[in-house]
Parts: sequence; C-alpha cells; structure tokens
Amino acid sequence: MPFRVTKALITAAGPSQRRLPLQTLTDRDGAQQPALAIILDELLAAGIEQVGLVHAQGDRAAYEAVLAPYAGKLTFIEQAAPLGYGHAVLCGREFVGRQPFLLQVSDHLYVSASAKSCTCQLLDLAEAEDCAVSAVQPTHEGQLQYYGTVGGTLVPGRRGLTAIEHVLEKPTPTLAEQHCLVPGLRAGYYLCFFGMHVLTPALFELLAAEQQANPGAKLGLSPALNALAAHEKYLAAVLDGRRANLEATFGLLRAQIALGLSGSSRSDILALLAEELALAAEKQPARS
Amino acid sequence: MEQRLLSLVEGQTPAGEPQYFEQLCRAASRAELEAMTAALEQFRRATPNFYHRVRAIFFLEAIHRYFLPPHYAADNAGSIPFEGHQHALERRFEEAIDTFLRHQREHGASDALSSALAAAYHGLEFKTLATQVQKTVRTVRGNQWMFRTGHPLDYPLRLRAELLPPGGDAPAPILFEETPVRMDLSHAGWSDIFFLGMDYPEGAKVLNLSIDLGVFGRDQSTRPPVCAFLRVIDEPVLRLVSVDLGASADVASLADLFDFAKDYLGLLKAAVIASGVVPSGLEGSGHDLAEILARLAGPGRGLEIVSQVRDIPKGSRLAVSTNLLGCLIALLMRATGQTGALTGELSEPERRTVASRAILGEWLGGSGGGWQDSGGVWPGIKMIEGELAQPGDVEHGVSRGRLLPRHRVFDEAAASAATRQALQDSLILVHGGMSQNVGPILEMVTEKYLLKLEREWHARLEAGEILRGIVECLKTGDIARLAELTTRNFFGPIQTIIPWASNAYTERLIAEARQLLGPAFRGFVMLGGMSGGGMGFWVDPAEKPRARELLLDLMRRTKRELQHALPFAMDPVVYDFSINPRGTHAQLLTGDRALFSPEYYLYRVPAWVRQDPRTLPDAARRDLERFLARHLGAANNSGLSTALLHRLFPPSTAGGSQRAGQSLRELLDENGFDPLQHEQIRADLLAGRIGMPQNRLPVSATVEDVRPGDVVPLYSADAADAARGAELLRSGAVAVVTLAAGAGSRWTQGAGTVKALHPFAKLGGRHRSFLEVHLAKSRRAGRAAGCEVPHLFTTSHLTHEPIRAFLEKHRNFGYTGPLLLSPGRSIGLRMIPTARDLRFQWEETAHQVLDVQQEKMRQSLRKALLDWAVKTGEGRDYTDNLPLQCLHPVGHWFEIANLLRNGVLRDLLRDRPQLKHLLLHNIDTLGADLDPAVLGRHDREARPLAIEVIRRRLEDRGGGLARVGGQLRLVEGMALAREEDEFKLTFYNTLTCWIAIDPPTPTAWPPPCARSPRACRRT
Repeated sequence: MPFRVTKALITAAGPSQRRLPLQTLTDRDGAQQPALAIILDELLAAGIEQVGLVHAQGDRAAYEAVLAPYAGKLTFIEQAAPLGYGHAVLCGREFVGRQPFLLQVSDHLYVSASAKSCTCQLLDLAEAEDCAVSAVQPTHEGQLQYYGTVGGTLVPGRRGLTAIEHVLEKPTPTLAEQHCLVPGLRAGYYLCFFGMHVLTPALFELLAAEQQANPGAKLGLSPALNALAAHEKYLAAVLDGRRANLEATFGLLRAQIALGLSGSSRSDILALLAEELALAAEKQPARS
Repeated sequence: MEQRLLSLVEGQTPAGEPQYFEQLCRAASRAELEAMTAALEQFRRATPNFYHRVRAIFFLEAIHRYFLPPHYAADNAGSIPFEGHQHALERRFEEAIDTFLRHQREHGASDALSSALAAAYHGLEFKTLATQVQKTVRTVRGNQWMFRTGHPLDYPLRLRAELLPPGGDAPAPILFEETPVRMDLSHAGWSDIFFLGMDYPEGAKVLNLSIDLGVFGRDQSTRPPVCAFLRVIDEPVLRLVSVDLGASADVASLADLFDFAKDYLGLLKAAVIASGVVPSGLEGSGHDLAEILARLAGPGRGLEIVSQVRDIPKGSRLAVSTNLLGCLIALLMRATGQTGALTGELSEPERRTVASRAILGEWLGGSGGGWQDSGGVWPGIKMIEGELAQPGDVEHGVSRGRLLPRHRVFDEAAASAATRQALQDSLILVHGGMSQNVGPILEMVTEKYLLKLEREWHARLEAGEILRGIVECLKTGDIARLAELTTRNFFGPIQTIIPWASNAYTERLIAEARQLLGPAFRGFVMLGGMSGGGMGFWVDPAEKPRARELLLDLMRRTKRELQHALPFAMDPVVYDFSINPRGTHAQLLTGDRALFSPEYYLYRVPAWVRQDPRTLPDAARRDLERFLARHLGAANNSGLSTALLHRLFPPSTAGGSQRAGQSLRELLDENGFDPLQHEQIRADLLAGRIGMPQNRLPVSATVEDVRPGDVVPLYSADAADAARGAELLRSGAVAVVTLAAGAGSRWTQGAGTVKALHPFAKLGGRHRSFLEVHLAKSRRAGRAAGCEVPHLFTTSHLTHEPIRAFLEKHRNFGYTGPLLLSPGRSIGLRMIPTARDLRFQWEETAHQVLDVQQEKMRQSLRKALLDWAVKTGEGRDYTDNLPLQCLHPVGHWFEIANLLRNGVLRDLLRDRPQLKHLLLHNIDTLGADLDPAVLGRHDREARPLAIEVIRRRLEDRGGGLARVGGQLRLVEGMALAREEDEFKLTFYNTLTCWIAIDPPTPTAWPPPCARSPRACRRT
C-alpha cells in the first residue's frame, strides 16, 4: 500500500493557543486572513484533502465563524479536558483512521525558502521514505526549554535526514548532550521540532497504551514519539524554510514580517522597516 | 637494552626477558642507563599513545632519581642551569627538560642535573595526567555546555515550577536532599585513582557501601551524614549557608562566586558551578549574577542553598566532602530540571552525571580524590569497576579505560539481607582521631603503578584476589572470613604498596584490641587512603556492645600517649552505622513543613535576635516565627531550647581568657622572653628598618661559588684521621647535640606534633621516632669506640615535657650513656606580619606555579591573609590562639647560647672535663653521624667550627656556601638578591656541624647537677 498522506490534524486546544490562530495577518499575496486560514491554504495546496481541527471545549463557534470557506474539508474535534498535547492528538484518532497523517500546531506559520512550501517538502519526503518524518530545525541550547528535541544518527547519503533514536521533551542541555547530539551541527545546537510531523497510526496505539497505564495523567506527545522511534523507522528532516512561532514574544510581529518578506509585498515591507529604523535612530542621542 | 625497555613501556614483555623495569635498570651500567634515557626521551616525543607517553616519562624520572645517581662519582661536579629551573617553576616542564638536556650535552651528566631532570619529569607526569583527566571531565557528555555558556541570553536553565513561591505569606517550598557517605571494604590497592582506572580498567575495582552514621553514645539512630536544602528567596543573590562551618554569605556577583578561598563556602560555590546553575563559561564574563538568577528563577529572585554535615569530623575516610558535594549537585540539578524527578531517588544515568560533576567540582575547588568517593550517591552495596573505553567515548584512543566507572549495585543474591545485617553487627566503625592529607599517598601509588615495580605489582594482583574473596564472602554470608581478608589486605598488599598507609597508632590499636578482645577480635579494615582516621574493627557480633566500649577506651588512652608524636585532630569516636538502601534522596517540603533543619535556625536565630527588629527583613521574621511555632512550640523540644539559649547567651569565657592571658605571660617569663628586644624588633619592623626585603644582600654584592681550598673534601676516609677520631671518641671527647625544639614538620604535613617523637618509619619491624634512631646511632658509635657518648636534645616550650615523658616511659630506649635535655632559654612572641613582608614573600620571591585552579585558590587565600594582617594590625602581638601557639623558638643558633644559659653544658663539662667537640645536627637529618674520619679531620684542622656541606641537588634549596664580596659565607637563599646566584653555588649547608669547645677553667664550676633528663625539667 503506497504511503500517501491525505489527512491532517491541527491542534488548537492549548490554553495559550486558543486565540492566536484567529489573529489576522496579511498573507504573502497581500490578503488579510486569520493565521489558521494561512496554514489551511498551505495544507490544501500540498495535497491534503481533509483536516481535523482539535479545539478546546467551547471554542468551536469562534473557529467556525472565521473558517466557513473551508467547511467541506474541515472536521472539528473537541478535546473535552486539557489533558496534554498527546491527548489532543489522540482525540483525532477516529478522524485519521488507519493511515498516515500530517500533524501541525496552529500557532506556527512556516516560511519556505524555496518554491515548495514546507508542508509540501515534508509530505514528499515522508512519501519517498515510506515512514514517519518530523520536521526539525537546528536550535541553540538556550532555547531547548521550549521544544521537543531529537537525537539520532545521520542517514547515509541523505543530506538533512536523521534516523531518530531519542525524543526528549524540553530537555536541559545536560540531557540533550547525553542523548541528542547529532553530527554535523554547530556546537550547542540540537534538532528541535518544527511543529510539523507526518506520523503513522501506530502513534495512536502508543498514546492509548500510555493513557491506559496512567489514567487521568497529562499525556505528552514526546514520550510517545520516543516510543515510536523504537517501534518503527522514524526520521527527522531539516526543511528548506523556517518557522514563526506566534506564541513567542513579538511572535505575531515576526511572523508578519517573515510572511511579508517572502511574498509579493517584500519591497514595501523592506521600505517600512527601513523607515522605522531611521525614525528610531533619530530619537537616539548622538554618540560622541 | 633500549628495545627491551620500550617493550616494558608498551606493556609487552617477551618470555625470558626481564619483566620489570627495575630489574633492567639495576643490571645496567651508567652508559646503558644513559642510552635508555635517550631512547625513552625520543620515544615519548614520538608515541601517539597517551599512556605510553606518560609511562615513558615516569621511567625517565625514576632513572634520573634512583638509578643513575649511584653511578656518579662522589666528587662529581655539576650545575643546574637557572633558566631550566625558572621554566619548571612556571610549569613549562617541556622547556625545562629541553634546557637541562642541552646543558647535559654541553657540560656532561651530573648528580645535580639528574636531580633537576627528575623534578622536571615529575612535574610533567602529573601535569600531563591531571590535564587529561580535567579535559575528559569537561568533554564528558552532559558537562560540555557548561563551558560554552558565556552569556545570560544563552543561559538555558529554569527553576522547576514546584519550587516557585506560592505567593502571599505562604512559605517558599524547600527542596531537601540527604546523602549517605561511602565506606570501602577494599579498593584493590587504591585502584580508584583516575590515572589507574583509565590505564588499567580491568584492575580498577572497589567494593563500596553507602552508609548512614550516628555517633555512639550521642545519637539515638543513624541517618545520612550529609544533607542540603534549597529555596527561592526574594533577593537577587545566592545566599550560601554552611550550617556545620557556621558560615554564610550573600553572593551577589560572579566574581565572588568564582572566588573559592574568600570564605568557608568554597564547596557550595563549587557545587553551584559544577551543577550548571552558574556555568563555568560565565567566569570572568563581566555579566551580572542577578541577570542569570532572573532567567533561572524570575526577576528579583535568588536562591538560598544550605549545606550541613551532621557532626562527622574531617579525616573520617568516608569521603564526607565529596558526598556533600554530590548531595549539593544532585539538589541543584533536580531544582533546575536536569533530572527526571524532582524528588525521590535518582536514575542511574543521573547518578553518573552527578559523579562526573562532583569530579569537576573537586577540580574547581583545587582538591580531588578517587572515583569511588561519590559512592554515597548510589544505594546499598556496590562493586565499582573500571570500564574499557569504547568507540564514541571521549576517552577512546586516549586511554584504555573510561573516566567514570560502572556501578553494579548488589542485589539479594550478591549480598542477602541477613549478610548485610551480619556485616553491620560485626563491624565497629571508628574515627581514630588522626587527620592527615592523603594526597602524597595517592601520588606515590600512581608512580609505583606506572613504574610497575615488581613487589608492588604482585601486591596489586593479590589485592585484586582479596577483593574477589570479599565479594564471595558477601555472597555466602561468611563475615568471619571477610574479616580475615580485610586484615590480610592491610598487613599485606596495602602496606607493600604504601608502607605509610599504616602508622604506629593504628598498629598499636590492632595489637592491643587483639589482646583485649581475645577470640572476639576478628580483624581490621582500613578505610579510604590511609589509616589512623576512619577505620573498622571486626568483632564477634555477640561481643559487639562490650567491644565497642573497650575500643573507645583503648583509642582514647592510646591517643593521649601519642598525641605529641602523631597529628591528631580530635578525640577518637565510635560510630553506629547502617547500610543506606536508597542513595541520595530528595523530598519537597511545602506549607508548614517548609523549614530548614533545627541546626540551621540555631545558627541563624542569634544574629536575627540581635538585629534591630525594625530592620529585620520580612522573610527572616516569617522564618523565625515558623521556627518558633514549629520547633520551640513542640512538646519534646527541651534540648533545642537549651541549645538555642546557649547560642544566644554563650557561656562566659572571661575567666578562660584571663587564665589564658596569665598562662601566656607565665610561658614568656619561663622561657626567657626579652620584652625590650621584642619592642625594639617591633619598632624596627614597623619603621621598615628590618623585614624580609631588608634581609637581602645589596644588589651590588658579588656572589660567587667557593674556590679550591675553601671546602675540605671528605669523599673517602683518611686512615690517620679515622684513627684520630676513634681515639677522641674513646676518650669521651665528643658529645652529640640534636636540635629537637621544633613542632611543625614536613613529616606530619605541618601538624603541630613534636618532631623528635614522630614515628616516621618502620625500621626493624616497628615504627621508630627520630629520637630513638639518633640514640641508636650514638649507641653504635659509643660501642664501636668503647665509650659512652653523651647525647643532648635541645628542647623548647612545645617539646620539652613531651620529650622528657617519652624518654622516661621508654627508659631512654636503653641508652646507658649520659642523656640530657637542654631546655630553651630564649623565646619569641609571634607578631602579625606586615603587608610589606607578605607581599615580598609572595611577589618578590620565586614560587612554583600551581595548576590553574589551585593557583586561583592560592591567590584568593593570599588576598584574605593580606586583608587579615592589615585589619588585625601589622606588627601587633599575635595572641588570638592557644598560648603555646603564640610563641615561637627564635632559631637554631640560640640553642648554643641556651646550652650556656641553662647550665647543661656546664654540668656536662664538670662531669667530663675531657669533652672537646660537639656534633650538632637537626632532628630529621638522619645522615648525621659520629664518623671518626670526619671528627679526626675536624680536630686536626683545629678550627672552632666545621660545617658539613654536600653537593647541591635541585631539592637542596635555601642558600649554600658562597663567597660574598670575596668573603666565605653560608648564605640563606632569602638573602640572595638574585635568585640565579643560588644556582652558581656547588655546596649546600646541611647544618650538621662540629663545634670545638674552648678548654674550661675548672675552678669556675658551680656544684654539679644530675645528668638525667628529669633533672633538666624547667622550673
């Protein structure tokens, strides 16, 4: 059976995520739309046919209101209680069924450095490698506290691909150095999740087993991904692009600038930035 | 020959060839030895293998130190180039060796040059080994990031949310860690020294137990001996508190944090850094500590970190310091999310990280032990073994073994619960009271291992076999056999490898315990690196209560007898102990339980109470209220209330001070203190008329080596002189004067013992003191001459009574000749040094530069001393100590004046009018001897004084025989304006001298005095 990804899960149930995906931004083409719509456009353009949006209790109406144009391709999945990111993913088990799926977070936007979108790059890789693939990005150890981090060995002859052996959730540098060193990176840099994964349905079994083992406990995704690495072939891929984390300090501003610089309004954005810098410099006292 | 030697370096010894380095060297001629050094020198520079290189350097040192010198002629002349010595002082050992070898090529080999080469190779060996271990510690995965984090923006740690204050008046949670200490039943010949384990992992094995302790007769139960606490505070500082040392400080800057010797909080600081809370990479970065703390715990916040050793004294041989460091590191790693769980036990990888960081912390603090020392972090009984380095390890390709060993915790099958109980019931753990630095022993072990000396190597193999036997005993539960094995280990392999691991005190305890306990005595176990401190006695479990009492009494009694001869730091104690089943362990104290230990409050409360209530911070006030409510409000708190009252109102010491003051005055009066001269010295010192810089010769002074004829060569005995000397001895014309007024000694690492009484080595099967050895030599000389030689020991306020009592107890060691004590009649009162002299000593004179961290410690310590001198008052009398410690003997030459002032020489001359010469020497100059040939020559020369000088070797520092401005003079090293001048001098002063006595006038003698030492007691 060919490894083809047609379904995607987007998680938007995190306590700090609930309104961010609804923030309006100007997209690459100069149109104003919610961040989530920008994500959905990229997914659908990459060949995804159905998207499941995992949201917190009571949030459906807000999403429905702004995502009406995607109604036919969008399924709303409610996470009844905030029981962890792994639990949010597990809520999508029925929607996904027994096929590989794309998992994305709703508070990140992706800016590709090539003609192919980041989603498209990841889907092509997963289909070519016939296995689960997580997009990763080299990240300084000072930022490890924010991300899941992988360790493993390089896939011979495949630039940018790593066979994952360990997945640790927000490790300290002490643990990262012991388990997540990957050849080829600058000192103090590790491969951290990009917020975009192609995963197999085996993940749901691992999450369900964990849930059964610790009923009522918060369910993380990283421990299940760590188990997945031991269970089947699972790769990490450095994509030709970067993420913009809406949740970070000035996250929306940076996402907007990144989107603007990668689209048709690039020169307008550059001019705007130059003007702002000049104005700011005028207010600074001259150095002697 | 050279090829065989290189095979030994590489550990390959073909059948039929000498298997040991020393066999090869003993059989070699001087030319062959020199060829061997050339081959080794070439080999060490070319070999890519780290340990082959190190072993070659050890071989080179040994050849120059031990095997070449006997081949040099007695009158072999030679000099040491000063440039090479300077390189060595600056730790540029390679450059020093190059300089010495170049000098050797140009001027030929010599004893002096060999001594310099041996010293340089020695420095290079340990620098190379230490650098490699430090490099490995830094590159161990999990530690590297700490060395590259140099900016707050890169700072990666965050405090765990559970530790953040809940807000309002609720107390901040406290994280509390408790850690057992480690006890080893065998270390298989100190095989846990890093250098051994990394070269010979197969032989590196230690049987290590984690134990809780209580002091017998004091504590109700056993508990982990070390603990630590952490909580968040509302000030951007690191508040470090050592409860047991009674020290605390608010560290507000990175500079203060990295200053280890500034206060008594060096261990806490090392833990903060080694745990990564403040990474090493930030040292000297110029950033604010508050910035780091803000990222860690939130803006305006800091941490209070408290350490506590629960009344376990130093020198316990239970690695208390290392386990406290491990405890603190575990605590700090938990708090910053570097462990999986905040509380409970640690996982195996986490324990390994703690152990590697404890090694790092010890290096930062300028100390270091073996890799088993952090064993308390692990639970129960475990075998710790070296491991072969594997591809991917940072050690691979450098050393055969890994830096960190593997810990295999024994399960029920390896040591059943019944066996563990039997072990506890059979072993009496004690602290004998001695406290000694084990560092020199570890260095000697390393040297002997890398040279692979035959006897020591066989002993090492036997130690390994004994360890296997001990493991088998634990499996079968045969504790009696286990006791036999540890005893065999102590008297066999341990003392074969390092005789100094034992001492007179320990051996006497064992012998008397065996006698006192009879069949109930099962054996002895040495703990850690040497005996005298922490030790164990195996007994019949049924007799343990009786044996415990007997041993305590025996140790106290023996300590009283030997306290002047050996370095005791405390009264002996017996411990209760139990095996700790969980290793280091943490719990989170929240709400009403969020309190430190009662001892913490006993230390802190007095300062809070004395503070103006209006200025007492709210946090301290709340702490005080909670402590009062929780502890003093409890029903069973009577002990605590009393202790607190004692802290608040310490027992008056006014009477004590007065007595001490009187005692000091009495001592000064009794010992010939000259107050007028003392005041003159003070005035001169403060005015800069005298002092260390003024003691120097003027720069314009010409310092030259002696000329032919200045020194009488005595490299071989002249028959006529020998006959003349023998006749003088026979006629009773000679007496020996041994200078025995000194206390501090290199033999006891500076401890205040009586050097003359120190049992420094085992000779003829038992430990002997210097005093006994010198008497034996006088007895032998007297017997050879057919006459009893008078022997005088000069004494001081510190040594007189102990020496008198010692001689009386041992009945003068059977010495039948006249044996006299010459009590001191001149004494000085110590003064606070001047900053000028301290600076001169440290800055104007050359010193051996130490390892980077040790050098930092030294600089920090010097700054503290300088501050102390200035604050206390330069030139003031030093009276802040025991009266005896405030006095000082005034110098060797005053001993001759003392002989006149105290009447001892007068009495001797009255009894022996034929007395014509005195042989005077230092107590630890073992080579001083009544040689008839030297005596005969001295008599023939008819000079008032003859000084024995020897050809200088590198270690003979501190001056020598010189011509200063054309005048022959024995000059002190400190007096030389140019240090290089000392290296021109061929001869070194031994201070052994022959003194001619002017003929007496018989009518002038007052009535006679008894000859025995008792008669010379001070009045």
